[in-house]
Amino acid sequence: MRGLFSVLLLALVSAVSAVSSTGGRLLVVLEEHSEREKYGVFFGDLEARGFHLTIESPKSESLSLFKHGERAYDHTILLPGKSKGLGPALTANTLLDFMKKEGNILIALSSDHAIPTSIHSTLLELDIHIPSDKGALVVDHFNHDSNKAAEKHDVLLLPFPQALKPNVKNYFAGEGLIAVPQAVGQTLGNESPLLAPILRAPNTAYSYNPKDEADIVEDPFAVGSQLNLVSAMQAHNSARLTVVGSAEMLQNAWFAEKATLAGKAVKTANRDFAARLTEWTFKETGVVKVGKLIHYQDEGVSKKMNTSLAIPEHNPTIYRIKSDVNFQIEISEYSQDRLAPFLPAPGDHVQLEFSMLSPFHRLNLSPISQTANSTIFGVSFKTPDQHGIFNFRVNYRRPFLTSIEEKRQVTVRHFAHDEWPRSWQISGAWVWIGGIWVTVAGFVAFVAVWLYSAPTEKSVKKTQ
Amino acid sequence: MAPKKAQSHTAPSAQSASSTPAKSSSKSSGNALDAQEIVLGVWNKYVEKTPQRVKLLDCFMLFLAVVGALQFLYCIIVGNFPFNAFLAGFSACVGQFVLTASLRIQTNPENKKEFETTSPERAFADYVFGSFLLHFFCVNFIN
Repeated sequence: MRGLFSVLLLALVSAVSAVSSTGGRLLVVLEEHSEREKYGVFFGDLEARGFHLTIESPKSESLSLFKHGERAYDHTILLPGKSKGLGPALTANTLLDFMKKEGNILIALSSDHAIPTSIHSTLLELDIHIPSDKGALVVDHFNHDSNKAAEKHDVLLLPFPQALKPNVKNYFAGEGLIAVPQAVGQTLGNESPLLAPILRAPNTAYSYNPKDEADIVEDPFAVGSQLNLVSAMQAHNSARLTVVGSAEMLQNAWFAEKATLAGKAVKTANRDFAARLTEWTFKETGVVKVGKLIHYQDEGVSKKMNTSLAIPEHNPTIYRIKSDVNFQIEISEYSQDRLAPFLPAPGDHVQLEFSMLSPFHRLNLSPISQTANSTIFGVSFKTPDQHGIFNFRVNYRRPFLTSIEEKRQVTVRHFAHDEWPRSWQISGAWVWIGGIWVTVAGFVAFVAVWLYSAPTEKSVKKTQ
Repeated sequence: MAPKKAQSHTAPSAQSASSTPAKSSSKSSGNALDAQEIVLGVWNKYVEKTPQRVKLLDCFMLFLAVVGALQFLYCIIVGNFPFNAFLAGFSACVGQFVLTASLRIQTNPENKKEFETTSPERAFADYVFGSFLLHFFCVNFIN
């Protein structure tokens, strides 16, 4: 009975959580209701993954990102519309407040539509820059679709993005080519470590405004791979914002379209890419979670055998200097609909810092075992020869991964008076131990001889 | 210190006693022989005139000095790693030496005038008590 109940409960829980790790309420801001059909497949895919879509016009009076001071939605998609403003419900401030409450935003831009000022200033706030003139788009004379954009060269055909760096996980990998029609290019500020490009323009691309009548583009907004077609920002609270340069790439028309790249007929894989993109933005991938965290004194083999308890005392609050300590942390990664064991990218390590103001140890944690949905990382080390208040700290921040910041405070005391090694355990002291006992033995022998020689001494005295 | 002092104390009398025959017998022989005879004279005088218990004390003090010197030498050559052990071992020797020297001063018949109130037995009891105290401290200090 009880087993049945728990199975039912488990099924219920898994049914509820079979969606993004933060929730399934998704707001789509779309001005023209008629345009809904254009994004039909995209919305269908999202609903199939368990999101509850609410499609609202920015002009709607009932539209609000917050209800009773809390988020009314978990995620938001902003699709371009005709009007220049997004209205009072979607100002730059409300969008940033939404992110402060850990809401995720996907912003789709389009060169056909004016970019609303609130989006402009939101992006500026996050150090993402877009061309200020309306209609600016990215063209490439080498990687365009010669089927649909034979003249204008403004439909780019690109492979799926590679990993940002060799030791960063790639959540956007796939097979095929992505069509990026009429994209608004973005450049990222150098200062922010929170920004990361997802899809970069090829080296031969540049951004220009077709309304400029000049034959030669002078002073373009940005060129080559400094131009991003899709870029991402992950805040310190792990709220995510993705800017898609081209809303058209999410439309049905480009999801599985025949295209021609350099004379070869290809099929676009936008549907896959859109899925990867929304999975990441709405926290179905790249979410790491810390489970059990334990640290304990490593008693060594001999002491373990003496005690009947196999498991040593966990998470003590006090340690001694120069003692062996074991640290373990359980990390899982949310992938699509469940927690899976987390493993860092090759060449990357989760690190443990044992720090008092500054780290005394910074050690790579290595995976020591795996459970069904987590990896247990561990390391053992010797506490430094310094007493005080220390922290076990795991601070793991990587692009496209939610951050891990764990801290456990412990006291490290110095040796107690009876914890020092005894003199005979140190072979260097044997000579001086010998010195003492030879002195003592000499003293005893002297006393014996002295007492024995007493009478003769007296007789000597008398004769003198 | 103490044995030298004792020797120098007895030296003048020994020298004066043995210098006249030495000078007359070996005037032609060199200065080295002269010095040798002086030392020999001093030694003979010491052996002859010193009470047996004082000799015993001198023996023990010499032994302590040798043990102490060996420990110090070892410390210089090998290093002072368990420093407390070196301190305990070396100070056991030095302390015992000092206590023995005190006993020698107090029990020497030549110093009787200065220690009229302290009998040799009392001095010896003090010495044994002080030594036990010293050994206790040293053994505890070396841990």
